[in-house]
Amino acid sequence: MLFNSLTFVVFFTVVVTLYWSIRGWEMRKNLLVVASYIFYGAWNPPFAALLFSTTAMDFWLGRQIAKAQEKRRRRRWLVASVCMNLSMLGFFKYGNFLLQNFQWLLARVGIIYQPPHLDILLPVGISFYTFHSLSYTLDIYRGVLRPTRSLRDFVLAVSFFPQLVAGPIVRAGDFLPQLEHPPRLRNGQFLWGLALMTLGLFEKIVLADTLLSGSADRVFGYGGPLVALDSWAGVLAFAGQIFFDFAGYSLCAIGAALTLGFHLKDNFRFPYAAIGFSDFWRRWHISLSTFLRDYLYIPLGGNQVRPLRAASNLVIVMFLGGLWHGAAWTFVVWGLLHGSYLVVERVCRGLFEHKPWAGALPVRVLAGFATYSAVCIAWVFFRASDFTVASRMLGGMFGQHPHGDAILSTRELVQIASVTAGMILMHWTLRDQTFETVVMRLPRVAVTAIWSVMACAIIFTQGSSNAFIYFQF
Amino acid sequence: MPLSISNFKRRLRLPTVFFRRPSREEQIHGGPPLEFIRPIPEIPWRGITVGVVLVVVAAVTAWELYCRSIGYGPTLNDNEDLWTSRRRAVRPESLVIVGDSRPLFDLDLDELEHGFGKRPIQLALAGSSAYPVLADLANDESFHGTIICSFVPALFLAPPGTPPMDTGEKAVHRFHNQTLAQRASEYLSVPLEEHLVFLKQEDLTLSIYLGKLRLRNRPGALVPPQLPPYFQTVDRERRTRMWERCADPNGPLARRIQQIWLPLFTPPPPPSYIPKQVFMAEMKKAIGQRFEDVAAAVHKFQQRGGKIAFVRFPSSGGLKQLEEHDTPRANTWDPLLKMTSAPGIYYSDYADLSGFKCPEWSHLTAGDSVEFTRRLIPHLREKLHSSVADRSDAPKPTL
Repeated sequence: MLFNSLTFVVFFTVVVTLYWSIRGWEMRKNLLVVASYIFYGAWNPPFAALLFSTTAMDFWLGRQIAKAQEKRRRRRWLVASVCMNLSMLGFFKYGNFLLQNFQWLLARVGIIYQPPHLDILLPVGISFYTFHSLSYTLDIYRGVLRPTRSLRDFVLAVSFFPQLVAGPIVRAGDFLPQLEHPPRLRNGQFLWGLALMTLGLFEKIVLADTLLSGSADRVFGYGGPLVALDSWAGVLAFAGQIFFDFAGYSLCAIGAALTLGFHLKDNFRFPYAAIGFSDFWRRWHISLSTFLRDYLYIPLGGNQVRPLRAASNLVIVMFLGGLWHGAAWTFVVWGLLHGSYLVVERVCRGLFEHKPWAGALPVRVLAGFATYSAVCIAWVFFRASDFTVASRMLGGMFGQHPHGDAILSTRELVQIASVTAGMILMHWTLRDQTFETVVMRLPRVAVTAIWSVMACAIIFTQGSSNAFIYFQF
Repeated sequence: MPLSISNFKRRLRLPTVFFRRPSREEQIHGGPPLEFIRPIPEIPWRGITVGVVLVVVAAVTAWELYCRSIGYGPTLNDNEDLWTSRRRAVRPESLVIVGDSRPLFDLDLDELEHGFGKRPIQLALAGSSAYPVLADLANDESFHGTIICSFVPALFLAPPGTPPMDTGEKAVHRFHNQTLAQRASEYLSVPLEEHLVFLKQEDLTLSIYLGKLRLRNRPGALVPPQLPPYFQTVDRERRTRMWERCADPNGPLARRIQQIWLPLFTPPPPPSYIPKQVFMAEMKKAIGQRFEDVAAAVHKFQQRGGKIAFVRFPSSGGLKQLEEHDTPRANTWDPLLKMTSAPGIYYSDYADLSGFKCPEWSHLTAGDSVEFTRRLIPHLREKLHSSVADRSDAPKPTL
C-alpha cells in the first residue's frame, strides 16, 4: 500500500479512528499488528507469512541470546540470527545477482555454466524489515537491550506500518520501550503528525514525481550521447527526485507514527547543505548510516585503529551500504565512491583542519559545493541501469559529447533549475535547524498558508500513485 | 505604536526567520542530541487546522466550479486499473476489442451487443500498439472467443521500447500483477471520478498545466511532440465518446487536435548516434519480426477455436494523407493479412463505411460511431464466419 494512494487515505482514517476509539492498550496494539499486516499483505499476501516467520525466529533467537551464559553460546545464537536474516535477504534480493556473477567467474576459467534463472519476486521492503528485526538480536547481544516477553510487541516493532517498507530503519530498542505504556498525545501532536504527512506527500507527489522524475527518466533512459547541459540537468533532477522521494516517505512515516502517539527519529536533516561527506552521511538516510556505524563500522574498529585500517573500514562499510541498496555492481560502485570520498575527506581534514582559513565562509561554501557536486556524480551510478549508461552520462557531464543530443525542453530545464535552487537554498538556510523550530518561529498565518498550499497542490496534482524509489530496496 | 501591531510587524519579518542565527538549543550540531521524544511546535494548532481546512475546501470547490464552467464534465480516468477491471471481465467466449484509440471512439458497445448477442469488452488503449494485448490474449489458454483488432500501422508496428508498446505492456503487466491495494484504489476512485470534474488526470493536473507553458526550445532539441488534450468521456466499461465541443471539424478544439496529430504521427528522425542505414535496417527487421510475432499469436489463438478480424478504422484530412504516404497499405495492411491469414476490413473498401468524416481527423463523433458500428457489424459477421484459420500456406511478407 502506498502512502500516495486513495487506499491508504481510507486505511489510515479507519485505523486512526479505531485506534483512538479503543480504550484498552493491549487491544490497540493488537489493532496495529493487524493493520500493519493488512498494509503489507495488500501488496502480496504470502509475503506477510515470510515477514512473520523471520520476526518470530528473531524473537526466539533473542531470548536464546539473553538466556545463554557463556559468551561463545551467545555468539553462536547471534550468528544464527545474522545468518538467518542475511540468507533470507541474500536469497530474495541477491539470488540472481550471485548466480550471474558465479556464471561470469566460471566463464573466465573456461567453464560454461548456464544457471537456471530464478523467477524470484522481491518482497517489498525486505531490506528494511530485515534490519528492523536484526537490530533486536544485535542489541541484545551487545547488552543494550533486554528481550521483550511479548511476541506481539516484537511483531509490532518490526512491522509497524508507517516504517515497514521503506524506513526509517527503526531499531527495536527505540520502539519497544514505547509499547510499555499507552502513549499520551501531547497538545498539537496529532495535527503536527498530519502536517508532516502533508509535507512528505507534497515532496513526493509535487516535487519528485511532477517536477523532476520525468526529466530524470528521459535523460537516463536516452540511448545516445547527450550534451553537457542535459546530462547535468538529468543528474540534478535525479538528485532532487531521490531526496524528495525518500525524505518525503520518511516524513510521512514520522507523521503517521506521531498521529498514533509514537516517536520515530529524523531520517534526513537537509543533506544537500552538508560540508564534507561525513557531514552528508550524518544528514542523509540517518537511520541506515547510524545502523552501519553501530553494527559494522565500530565493530570493525572504527577510527580507533591505524589510519590505513580505518580507511579500509570506511570503504568496507560503504561497499556494503551500496550493496544493501540493490543487487547490481552500479550500486557497489556508488558505495565505493562514497567510501573513497570519506577517505579523501579524512586525509584533507588531517592536513588542513587546523589551518586558520579552514573555517572561513568562502572555504565552507566551496566545500559544500564540492560535496554536493561529488554526491551528484555518485548518483549517476545509483540511477544508471548499467555501466554503459553511467559512462555515457559521465561523458556528457564532462564535455565529451559536444555534438550530442539535447532532449530536455526549456520548460523542463527551468523546472529543474528552480526546484534545485529552491532546495539548495532551503537546505543551507535551515541546515542547523529543525522543522519544528522553524514552524515555531513562523507567524501562524504563514504556517496556515504553507500548509494549505501544500495540501491544495497535492490534490490538484493528482499523483499517479508512483511507487517510492526506496520500495525496490 | 500599539503592542499588537508591533508584534504583528515583527512576526511578518520573514527573512529573519530563516537567516537569523539559531540559538544553541535550536542547533543540531553542538546542541543537545536528538531527543527521542519528538518536539511538537507550540503553536495554536486548532486554529491553524481550521484555517487550512477552510482554505482547502474553498480552493477545491472553486477549482471544481471553474472546471465545470469551462465545459468539463465528470468522466473516468482511462488508466491501467480501469483497463485491468475490463480485462478481468474477459470470459472464455467473450467478444473483445483490442488496439488503439480508434476502436475506443469508433465502436459502439450497445450496437455490437445488439449485432453479436453478447456484450463486448473494450480493451483498446489510446496511443498503444495492439500487439502486447493480443499476445496476452493468445497466451490465455482459457480464452477462445472473438477479437476485433484495430490496425493503425504507426502504432501497431511500433518497435519495443517505444511509447505505443510501453502503454500496452504496462496495462498487461498491471493485469497480471495488480495488488490488492491497487484494486482497492480502483474501486475507491471510480465513484469519485464519476462525480468530481477536476479529477481528470489527462487535462486538469499541475503537470499538464506546466506542459502548456510555451517557452522557446533550443534549436535542434529533440522534444517529444505534444499530446492531445481531453476531448472524450469514458465510463466504467471504457466506452469512449467524443466531447460535443470537438465534433465540429472547424471548431477550435478539433483544429487544435488536428495539428497535434501531424507531428505525433510523423515518424521521428533516426537517432543521431546510429547510422541511418543501420537504423533503417533495424527498423525493417523489427517490423518483420512484429508481423511474425503477430502471426504466431493469431495462429495460436485460432488453433484453439478463437476468431479474430483486423479492422482499419477511418481517418480524414491531413492525417489520412500522412498515413497513406508514410505507411502505405501495400507495406502494412496487406502483409498483415497475408501473414496471419486472418480476415480484415479496410474501411475504404466498403462504400457504406467510407463516407465517414473524423472531425479531428482521427476519430468519429459519438453519433457517427453508432452508425459506423451498425454498418460494420454485417461485414464483421461475414468475415468472422467465413474465415478458416490455416497458417500453413501463408506466404512470407513482402516488405
